[in-house]
Amino acid sequence: MEEKVLDARGLKCPMPIVKSKKALQELLAGQVLKVIATDPGSVLDFQGWAKTNPSFQLVGQRNEKDETGRDLYVHLLARNG
Amino acid sequence: MANSQSKTEITVQELYERLYRPTEPGQWFLLDVRNEDEAKGWRVEGPAAVPYFHLPYFAFIDDPEAALATVPPGLGEAVVVCAKGSSSEFVAELLRDAGRPAVNVAGGMIAWGDFHVPLQVPLNPAQQGRYELWQFNRFGKGCLSYAVIAGGEAIVVDPSRFPALYEDFVKARGARIVEVLETHVHADHLSGGAQLARRNQARYRVLNAHGAEPVLGMEIAPLDGDVEIRLGGAKGVTLSARALRTPGHTPGSTSYLVDDHYLLSGDTLFVQGVGRPDLGGHAEEWSRELFHSLKHVVAGLGDEVQVLPAHFGSYEEADRQGLVRGRLGTLRSNSPEFAITDPEEFVRTMKAGVKEAPAIYGEIIKANLGLIDPGDKAGEWELGKNECAATAAKRRAAQGRA
Repeated sequence: MEEKVLDARGLKCPMPIVKSKKALQELLAGQVLKVIATDPGSVLDFQGWAKTNPSFQLVGQRNEKDETGRDLYVHLLARNG
Repeated sequence: MANSQSKTEITVQELYERLYRPTEPGQWFLLDVRNEDEAKGWRVEGPAAVPYFHLPYFAFIDDPEAALATVPPGLGEAVVVCAKGSSSEFVAELLRDAGRPAVNVAGGMIAWGDFHVPLQVPLNPAQQGRYELWQFNRFGKGCLSYAVIAGGEAIVVDPSRFPALYEDFVKARGARIVEVLETHVHADHLSGGAQLARRNQARYRVLNAHGAEPVLGMEIAPLDGDVEIRLGGAKGVTLSARALRTPGHTPGSTSYLVDDHYLLSGDTLFVQGVGRPDLGGHAEEWSRELFHSLKHVVAGLGDEVQVLPAHFGSYEEADRQGLVRGRLGTLRSNSPEFAITDPEEFVRTMKAGVKEAPAIYGEIIKANLGLIDPGDKAGEWELGKNECAATAAKRRAAQGRA
């Protein structure tokens, strides 16, 4: 199944999580939501959020760079149940 | 309180003023909405006993009603803080919409960590009027830097990475910066020393004495031996600051004795103890050097000498204005490290207190040596409170505090 991409580049918190919550509600069972953020603070925020919200799992996090060399923080989320 | 209803945001300056103002219970409390890891390591503190409540902002996104119900009522106005000030703005608005008083701290913990207050160090009557001594307290990080002003000239010691702050301050007092000094190559914060010296054509002094000396593309004035720095000669005021080599916290650590009475001690001495000798990964060797510095250099200074360190770890070390200073005699009689007479026991004691240094310290040292450039990561690297004290850290650990 194709992953669903949420472009959260340039967004300040709390928006990456506000938008992710909405996107998770529309996510199909077994589908992965890929959130692309530019805020380094999002790494610990997504970990903390996943720990307190039982409706989804954080299945991965990684750092990437865009074509201009800007740091990207990628968070992979999947729905529980 | 007439316009408090319209106020939705306070600056870090206002936060500082609130923390230093006597507070009645029920007036206000801190609501920290960062994630747990960030909140655990570092938070807003001050001398006032202000209630502190932590609930991450994502709890307010998941279930706003439940989150709002968790925030204790009856504590007064919520002063909401996060890392950068935007999640806290969102939470403060939620609270206000629910009819509860709340303000956001603009700029969040980053702004709090960058905030400095100049506090004048009161001089003894005999010294008053000849010169001024100022302590810049960077409350959020517990970092202290200094300006000594005499006869239109100024020395700045251990400046942070915000040179304009010192330039504006010294200029407003009718002086120009002629010397910029470091007590050592800092590990916990980025230095603005080289930049400040360059911008003001001032002499710059720093000593690493461990591996390479700083590569800053500028001349570095010597610090070996007893260097004496004179100020204000042109206006007939002379003030001397003597450089004392006090290795231990780092091999290059230097303390500056101003007018034989005020010891800008860097991270060698704090108001409640001594500096960590383990931040460079050479705890044994550096502990021996620290022992030697205490027994052979600091021992030669009188009890009435005022210790003005580069850090503080807790608000017990500050007075009611936030000024951090201590009498050397008091430090000597209260700090357990001074009671140790055997070098081997001293080394054992210091090594027993060794703990892991924050990972970023290695990068900060390299940046302060001019080997790498933090670029736009400077703010991120500097997040958190300093961890440079040996005694205070131990005491806090013993009391079960982070």
